[in-house]
Amino acid sequence: MGVGVGIDLGTTNTVVAVARDGQPVTLADEGGRRLIPSFVSFHPSGRVLVGEAAKERRVVDPENTISSIKRLIGRTYASDEVQRALRAMPFELVEGDKQAVRVVARGEIYTLPEISAFVLRRAKAVAEAALGEVVDKAVITVPANFNDPQRAATKLAGKLAGLEVLRILNEPTAAALAYGQAAGTPERVAVYDLGGGTFDVTLLDLSGSVFEVLATGGDTSLGGDDVDHVIVTEMTSFFLQRFRFDPRVDPVARASLRARAERLKHALSEREESSVEMNDIVRGDGGAFLPATFSMDRKRLEELTKPLIDRTIETCRFSIETIGLTCADIDRVLLVGGATRMPMVARQVEEYFKRPTSTRVNPDEVVAMGAALQAAALTKGHSRRAAQPPTVKISRADREAAVAAVMGADAAAPFGAVAAVVHEVVAEAVDASPPAAPPKAPPRPRPVAATGAVAHAPPEELEEVEPDFEDLLPELIPDEPLSQEAAAPRPGTGLAPPGSPPVPASFDAELHVPERPQAVSPPAPAVAPALSSPDPGVAVQPPPARSVPLLVDVTPISLGVEVAGGYCDFLIRANTPVPCDRKRVFRTASDGQTAVVVRVVQGESEKFSENTYLGDLELTDLPPAPRGEVEIAVTFEIDADGILNVRATDQASGRETLARINLLGAQSDASDVAAMLARQRRHDVA
Amino acid sequence: MATLYALQTRLALVDEQSYYEILRVPSGAPSSEIKAAFHEFALDCHPDQYVDAPSFEGQIAGEIFKRGVEAYRVLSKPAARSRYDQGLLHGHLRLVDGTNSVPPPPRMLTLEEVAIRPKAKQLALKADRMISAGRLDDARVALVTAIQEDYDNDDLKERLNALMEAIALEPMSLEVDYGARR
Repeated sequence: MGVGVGIDLGTTNTVVAVARDGQPVTLADEGGRRLIPSFVSFHPSGRVLVGEAAKERRVVDPENTISSIKRLIGRTYASDEVQRALRAMPFELVEGDKQAVRVVARGEIYTLPEISAFVLRRAKAVAEAALGEVVDKAVITVPANFNDPQRAATKLAGKLAGLEVLRILNEPTAAALAYGQAAGTPERVAVYDLGGGTFDVTLLDLSGSVFEVLATGGDTSLGGDDVDHVIVTEMTSFFLQRFRFDPRVDPVARASLRARAERLKHALSEREESSVEMNDIVRGDGGAFLPATFSMDRKRLEELTKPLIDRTIETCRFSIETIGLTCADIDRVLLVGGATRMPMVARQVEEYFKRPTSTRVNPDEVVAMGAALQAAALTKGHSRRAAQPPTVKISRADREAAVAAVMGADAAAPFGAVAAVVHEVVAEAVDASPPAAPPKAPPRPRPVAATGAVAHAPPEELEEVEPDFEDLLPELIPDEPLSQEAAAPRPGTGLAPPGSPPVPASFDAELHVPERPQAVSPPAPAVAPALSSPDPGVAVQPPPARSVPLLVDVTPISLGVEVAGGYCDFLIRANTPVPCDRKRVFRTASDGQTAVVVRVVQGESEKFSENTYLGDLELTDLPPAPRGEVEIAVTFEIDADGILNVRATDQASGRETLARINLLGAQSDASDVAAMLARQRRHDVA
Repeated sequence: MATLYALQTRLALVDEQSYYEILRVPSGAPSSEIKAAFHEFALDCHPDQYVDAPSFEGQIAGEIFKRGVEAYRVLSKPAARSRYDQGLLHGHLRLVDGTNSVPPPPRMLTLEEVAIRPKAKQLALKADRMISAGRLDDARVALVTAIQEDYDNDDLKERLNALMEAIALEPMSLEVDYGARR
């Protein structure tokens, strides 16, 4: 069983972190960098470059270098954001099935989750190299204000990257978790998260063992990139004025302007004034470049960005008022996201909340750290209330030791085998069930596996859990010949140095599980395979220093269906804790009607058409009957990932009926997923 | 975290319990107490607390948790809570605000949406507007012209048939019929 990590999949940068002993740390690549630029570049060699290497190619190969995918993922082709990107982005976007957006690079058409999967694979590889262990599970963060299709697409990206997605976690909530972990006292916190492409504000009660999200709001198309854009516009007018030349007509010049705008923005967070050389943009009559220097002072930048920041403050005001609070009720304001480094942001936030902001936590890394903590809490055997791996047999002495441990200090509940007993003992001792109650008899088979304590079991005796895609891709397609540079030695192929850790350096290697140093399986226990492998990492680990609090998060957007007159009937309101559900009964509207179509939206407007249309729920194969007589009860559930699930039952028969939800842009058909997984395999990520 | 037995008991009771009973608070409890009770409840019944348990324990917990969320949402908002308290006097354990039977209007594509060629779309839009204005015969004329442009559009032809049928049978109720088909 591999390690679970936290991944902050950002618009501009991605960060990966792991929590060990309750302490989260971000992980660096071989060059010591902790920020992986969320750029994917399709190299002529067929290799897919991700991160710094890809970002460098945005200037030389803008058409095949994809960035800011997070702004587009889960949106329809016709949406404003995508239409704007069509004009602003140097790479090609086309419309796919169900109004989805596709990216064209080197003649191939990719879905957006596939592009994000490349970034996630890089994050996975960085983590595996840093940890020397297989990483196969992750908590992936998204802006709190992401809607259902955006979350579902991100989850799919994780799956395509070969990760079991433990949770789609809201970024501000993750930040609060990392922060609260450090703070430790009960308080009401506002998290102001201004990232590269999104803005979120989340209000939470941090009280000891439970972190309750009270409200969340945001703008999924507002971030630091917009500040870059403002600077690019300013640079453009400089060139127009000075040379009568519009640098935006040339994709290379445009990309180069963007890169320099970003650098200028960073400089202006440190200094009052800065300038940047632009000697390679405009050519004179003879074809030689004309020298040019663009300079800007902080005052001008702040003038230009003030409307953007004002929008964020408005969102804060709205969120606080929604739950009937005022600024005075907020104990602390936490700044998250790289864009909060701009001095003006902190100033305006402090002005609004009338209190100093907290910058104790690194704004770039705090989200990934929180995600890592949640990943640890959601990993079997690592969780805050560690229980039993069911394959382990424990001696009586071990049991007694465990009982003693529990009675002594149950806060320091140990992991693994011992914890299995702890779980039961605590349950039996503390549970105030009536005396007549039947004894708790959980169906936990305890086959004989390793003898003695798990801690002594050598890792060689432990069973490997195969990666997710083994199931999905039973027949592996042979590798296509790749370029010279892609033909680097892979672990397990005989070229790798002996004794090297079983960490796949590439995605391909991971699929060749049998070639890896093969573990010797113990006599197969008669339990479900998923439960049958104790984690070697667990056994040798000391208990966590602190337990991770329980996160109770909310759904950011109201969910509704269309009713007569073009109105929206809300089923689940924004800021409802998740998981939650709501049942609705639908009746046929005409005689003999055998299908009912329910249109589903997310949004806050009473008018149906002003909300984001998610898709149709189709209830089919209804028995023909006079109108109104067929009643179908539909349960709309929003799960802990904030993703919608639908279940329908026929009221008369009590049987489940066919409920198909056709979501716009969704790519969830098994065949689609298999094809996308196969394509991931064909591309090496570097 | 609760034992499997405790979870099963809670789940069995949840349909017979008031929101107060689900969250285990007295019915007069102030909002601060309701919040604290919800936190206690979440520690017992949030599915994330059952990561290490067999998956069905997490599922049972999840079902209970969702009912607790419903209770908490109502009890933590004064207006909803007082409505709930009123209903509770009459034995209503759950606050149902129109939970039942909202028939969705089966929506038909507009003629404009059905039309394919730009010229046909334009004419179909005209027909749509005529229908909205109740001028069904004018709509028919516009639609026939649209079909001349979209000569191979069977869907559009079918819509014309429907329109003709509606005019012949019950001209006044066309709008209702227009919406209710399919």
